[in-house]
Amino acid sequence: METARLKAFGVYGLLLVVVIFLALFEYVGLTANRGALLVVLVFWTGLAQGCIAVVAITDLTNARWAGLWKRELLAIHPLLVLSILLFLLALFRLDLYPWTHETTAWLNPGFFVGRNLAALVAVYIAARRFIRSTLAEAGTKKRDAVIYLFLFVISQTLVAYDWVMSLAYPWISTLFGPFFFVEATYAGLGLSGFVAFFTYRKKLAAHPDRAPALLKDLATLMFGFSILWGGLFFAQFLLIWYGNLPEEVHYIYQRVNGFPFAQMSVGYLMMVFGVPFVVLLSRHTKRSPGVIGAVGMVMLAGLFIERLLMIWPETTLHPGLAAMQTVLVGGFWLLTIHLRDEILPGEKSGKTDGG
Amino acid sequence: MTQRYEFDHAGEFLEQLRRLVGEGTPKSNIWVRTPYHLPEVEQLLIGDRPGRMRFFPLAGGLGGFLGGLALTTYTVLSWPIISGGKPIVSWPPFLLIGYLLTILFGSVVSLAGFLLLARLPSPPGLREGEEFSERFIIAVGDWEATWKRPD
Amino acid sequence: MADIETPRPIEQDVLAAMSRPSLFYLAAVAGCALLFTGGLSLWAYQVWFGLGVAGINNPIGWGVYITNFVFWVGIAHSGTLISAVLYLFRARFRTSFNRAAEAMTIFSLMVAGLFPLIHLGRVWVFYYLFPYPSERMIWPNFRSPLVWDVFAVSTYMIVSLVFFYVGMVPDLAITRRRRPGFAGKIYGLLSLGWLGTMRQWRHYSRLYLFLAAFATPLVASVHSIVSWDFAVSIIPGWHTTIFAPYFVAGAILSGSAMVITLMVPMRRMLKLETYLEVDHFESIAKILLFTSLIVTFTYIVEQGLAYYGHNSFESGAFTYRATGHYAGLFWLMVLCNSVLPLTLFFKPLRRSLTWLFILSFFVNVGMWLERFVIIVSSLAHDFDPYAWGTYRPTLVEAGITAGSFGLFFLLFLLFVKLLPVLSMTELKEHEK
Repeated sequence: METARLKAFGVYGLLLVVVIFLALFEYVGLTANRGALLVVLVFWTGLAQGCIAVVAITDLTNARWAGLWKRELLAIHPLLVLSILLFLLALFRLDLYPWTHETTAWLNPGFFVGRNLAALVAVYIAARRFIRSTLAEAGTKKRDAVIYLFLFVISQTLVAYDWVMSLAYPWISTLFGPFFFVEATYAGLGLSGFVAFFTYRKKLAAHPDRAPALLKDLATLMFGFSILWGGLFFAQFLLIWYGNLPEEVHYIYQRVNGFPFAQMSVGYLMMVFGVPFVVLLSRHTKRSPGVIGAVGMVMLAGLFIERLLMIWPETTLHPGLAAMQTVLVGGFWLLTIHLRDEILPGEKSGKTDGG
Repeated sequence: MTQRYEFDHAGEFLEQLRRLVGEGTPKSNIWVRTPYHLPEVEQLLIGDRPGRMRFFPLAGGLGGFLGGLALTTYTVLSWPIISGGKPIVSWPPFLLIGYLLTILFGSVVSLAGFLLLARLPSPPGLREGEEFSERFIIAVGDWEATWKRPD
Repeated sequence: MADIETPRPIEQDVLAAMSRPSLFYLAAVAGCALLFTGGLSLWAYQVWFGLGVAGINNPIGWGVYITNFVFWVGIAHSGTLISAVLYLFRARFRTSFNRAAEAMTIFSLMVAGLFPLIHLGRVWVFYYLFPYPSERMIWPNFRSPLVWDVFAVSTYMIVSLVFFYVGMVPDLAITRRRRPGFAGKIYGLLSLGWLGTMRQWRHYSRLYLFLAAFATPLVASVHSIVSWDFAVSIIPGWHTTIFAPYFVAGAILSGSAMVITLMVPMRRMLKLETYLEVDHFESIAKILLFTSLIVTFTYIVEQGLAYYGHNSFESGAFTYRATGHYAGLFWLMVLCNSVLPLTLFFKPLRRSLTWLFILSFFVNVGMWLERFVIIVSSLAHDFDPYAWGTYRPTLVEAGITAGSFGLFFLLFLLFVKLLPVLSMTELKEHEK
């Protein structure tokens, strides 16, 4: 038990080390470009919150497939602490936001920091509470899932409107908030696909009757979400295209013209919608853990490119730096999965294949 | 020689069916009627073949999508009027029409395919005076025995 | 010798519902028919004297007719959600609702489809909207959301009809069997001579799955397209990207409310308590609560973001919505759609059919008002102050609205007596 505690402590210690490295990369002057940290922050906050949201939703709807990968998905929760720390770090870049020069009632540094920090901390607390009750299969599991999802929606909405949309102030798209929390859930599903691929052999051995059907359910859900994502994207794009108002269109115009934005925009559309939709259409691919894992990865890479595309035109960030920072956090995430038994609250189960 | 079995419950019905298949009765000689869908029946009598039904929605859907794009593009090029400052061939609305026609034609062609494959309308079901049992029926040898009691 | 064995209890109960109508039923039919014929004659009056008898004018050119159109199309979505989407999710509670829910979809689409025609004024040129090779060689403007509506609602109508009919075929065979004589012949024809052979079930189950898979994206997209009727404009209050999910959530909200409005009395009148359990109603109530939360979220986001940027027209329009001529309706709408459904967080209220019925009435009113407030208040207060105005529906519009409700309930009442109101085959399948 002492080694477990030590390992958990070690994970959080390593988390601090990762944060320090990210700070160094961003602020020590490796490049004169600013803003990469913001991309990493937005991407990983969405992904981490989304993974837990996926488990919460499946608990509420009594869907059984996530039960198989519950522990792996919930192990991402230390990254919620990462997002809090990174947010605090990113505050030094607050001057990237155009409204810092002429503040409004909603957009002023104090309120901005206060509400976003409160949301992130609240999500973390609700997540811990939910993880505890869901792993213990407690009676309050569903209530805690509802509370978590409620705070998740608020936090992701704030991420969308405050962190990303206000970069392009005064550009508005009211769909941005819902778009972000749907994307976060979709990202959680993509990561579930990836996790499913890596753990499939063990799961199949432990649950030979259930695992194939549950894998197919996951693939069907990914397919459905790709369509949902595509629909929401189209909703936003169609209205901006149709209205053709200069104050709205410049946002899109910036992002579809010139190298590398034009290529990135086509690319990420293919990766987030095209690939999952076409590949997961067939029955055969829905049963193959390799394909599902690959599709999940492609989709997540596409989402990362989308985050880059949202933030890059408004800043001077260096994409290579953002990618490097993301890979660093990704490595840390892999460690959390490996050490999930030590870092998940509640009873330490002997089995590592959950279910 | 026709054998006919009637059951009130799915369990007994499936047992008898498994017995018949196990005994070696040729599957093409076994006719079955059930009040609701039992996937085990297909498993026993047909195996794992996915069925020809799936080509119809695919064909209908693809046809609808391409047809929608073709209709919109052709009509807009045959009398090109600029409306609302939009390009003549504007893909967002055309994609939308294509998507709607995918669903429309996919569904209708699937229905047509179903009627074709299931051989409906089926005259014996329309004939007066037939007994339509809510029981599970197995008939060996003569398919008419599924809806007509042998004299 | 024909030997029809004794029917199962499910069949007895459902077919008993189709037996001789009671006096109460006939009175209800008469009332609805009266409302409907009233509405119809008012429409005839409008066709004769022109659209001027309606209150729509400059600047509010879209009023109660468009409100009704969006309202009825919205109600249709819940039916497809229950029958198609919940099928794909394998939700068990769906089986007792799905037949009636699909019927609700068909009838509300029929009613909704009338309103573009009523709103046209010159009804006889409605066919201009369809793409046919005309002598003048012009085609509909595919870039217009009104034409997208034509495609969307027609597609939805046809697919829903197909889905509804296909789902009913085995039940029609059962009905044919239990109703000898001329009625039996009609049901037999409708059932296409369905026998239930293995080949038929094999292809049927695949077809049903494909139809459910096709109908599912329609639930989200049809009302999104209807919402784009407004959102593609540039009017403040209309031109906002959140409209698509907002309207879809609102559609499911009003649809679930209408399902409850229809099912609670139906359960009592037709003595179907064994099949329509309180648990099932609780599940519908949860859907209602969930969609109400989404709608509330959107109200907050829209109102908030109106004051976010430098857009004085947007902030003016939303201030007008909350404090202007239609403020009373706005706040009533918030009460009905956002506040009252919160009571469903309490389990005893969620399981009380009386409260669900009362609440569903309020939600229906609230959702109708929401469409009215969105349409009318945005048109009343757009950019140029000189062009601001107000709108009051006339008796003709009110009468036609009442007529539409009459038609809807009339069709549903007829359905209850003529077609099997529960899905007997699916209930048998799940009872094992």
